[in-house]
Amino acid sequence: MAEPSQLEEAVEFAENPEPRCACVLLLDTSNSMQGDAISALNAGLRSFKANLIQDPLAARRVEVAVVTFDTQAQVIEDFVTADLFEPPILTAQGMTHMGAGIHKALDLLQARKAQYRASGIAYYRPWVFLVTDGAPQGEPESVVEAAAQRIREEEAAKRVAFFAVGVENADMDRLQQIVVRVPVKLIGLNFVEMFVWLSASMQKVSQSRMDEQVALPPPGWGAV
Amino acid sequence: MEAACWQVVGASVRGAGHEKTGQPCQDAHAWLQTPAGVLLAAVADGAGSAAQSEIGAATAARSAVERLRCIEAGVPSPDDTPGWRAFLLSGLQAAQEAVEVEAAALQTSARELATTLVLAAATPNCVAVAQVGDGAVVVADRQGNLTALSPPPSGEHLNETTFLVSPDALDTASCFVWQGDAAYLALLSDGLQMLALKMPEGAPHAPFFAPLFRFASDIAEPAAAQAQLEAFLRSSRIAERTDDDLTLLLAASAGTGD
Repeated sequence: MAEPSQLEEAVEFAENPEPRCACVLLLDTSNSMQGDAISALNAGLRSFKANLIQDPLAARRVEVAVVTFDTQAQVIEDFVTADLFEPPILTAQGMTHMGAGIHKALDLLQARKAQYRASGIAYYRPWVFLVTDGAPQGEPESVVEAAAQRIREEEAAKRVAFFAVGVENADMDRLQQIVVRVPVKLIGLNFVEMFVWLSASMQKVSQSRMDEQVALPPPGWGAV
Repeated sequence: MEAACWQVVGASVRGAGHEKTGQPCQDAHAWLQTPAGVLLAAVADGAGSAAQSEIGAATAARSAVERLRCIEAGVPSPDDTPGWRAFLLSGLQAAQEAVEVEAAALQTSARELATTLVLAAATPNCVAVAQVGDGAVVVADRQGNLTALSPPPSGEHLNETTFLVSPDALDTASCFVWQGDAAYLALLSDGLQMLALKMPEGAPHAPFFAPLFRFASDIAEPAAAQAQLEAFLRSSRIAERTDDDLTLLLAASAGTGD
């Protein structure tokens, strides 16, 4: 009978692409974020990367993209796996075009999912993680309402999990009108802890198999 | 006809992910051979998000094969697909009821015992499979041709599947009957799917199965074979690729591998 080591050597594995877990960081870089807030956010992004790459599976499976919104919504970094993610250094300026940012993030996800499907890559339900210290400002209300409607539809169809975090003076009531899930209020400028939590949650998702939903570690950095 | 006799080895091991978080192995398997030579085998994969899914998985796998043993007296003919569907669904239903009873005994909701269930019956002239949720069954004929008897993983996202406790589980269960003289059979939980099947079509990867089937036909001592299979599932080559719980059940029909 074969020794275990022989079995281990004899069996060849199918070469399938790693399944992907896409996460868009949708970050407010409006004028009010200037100073300590934006510095803390940048430090948080660095710890996000540092934590994710400690987990070899998450490093290969979690894909991160960064979209910022101020007077314009921009893709700062398109999807890359966590091991290749370069934490950007963000600066703060301008108004708060949150609606445009939401559209940009969901467009980016839609395009990525189409790429996954075209390449036969399996994927987990993607995440959008919105961080803001204010409320939509400087863009037509219809854009914001359309963005909120889109979140409701995507959540209902289970195509995305859309999380929102309010910083300091964020208008939590307004935020709750835009997103489906209850937004979380960040305690102080605890971005490092928030991103460590996000990293742990993404690791959990990227290791889950086909579970309907993943029980996320409780956030220790914010209040509902 | 002389009754076929199967050599069987199965193992369920805890994945690296659950070792890290201290969760138990939530996979389970069960099998038995009836006096008439019908092999009944089940693999269950408890939901990671359910608190006591390891109990749900073990209960489901065990009660499904036990139930089918009881009604095995008259198995359907190979071309009687509706008959096989009814036969196997009675096993799934027994598993569903047993999980509900177990949940009541534990004073919890059946949702906390959520599990998938793959159930296979192999006779000398066919293999029938019914399943709720993920997992796969692969059969090899005497010429070594491999066929997957499970639908490819469904749903848009990986982290979605159907569980036995879902209200529509039995209605949406997939069922497949393969007609022929099976030489080998493998049941696996979804943790192994990415290693054993070519995605997205879910076709069996022959270099994965061939050495394992040879191993199954050479079983001399069942306990040692199970230990070897467990060691294989815990090997670093597998741990590098997946940290999910893993179950593999292999069966070789008598007269193969000599």
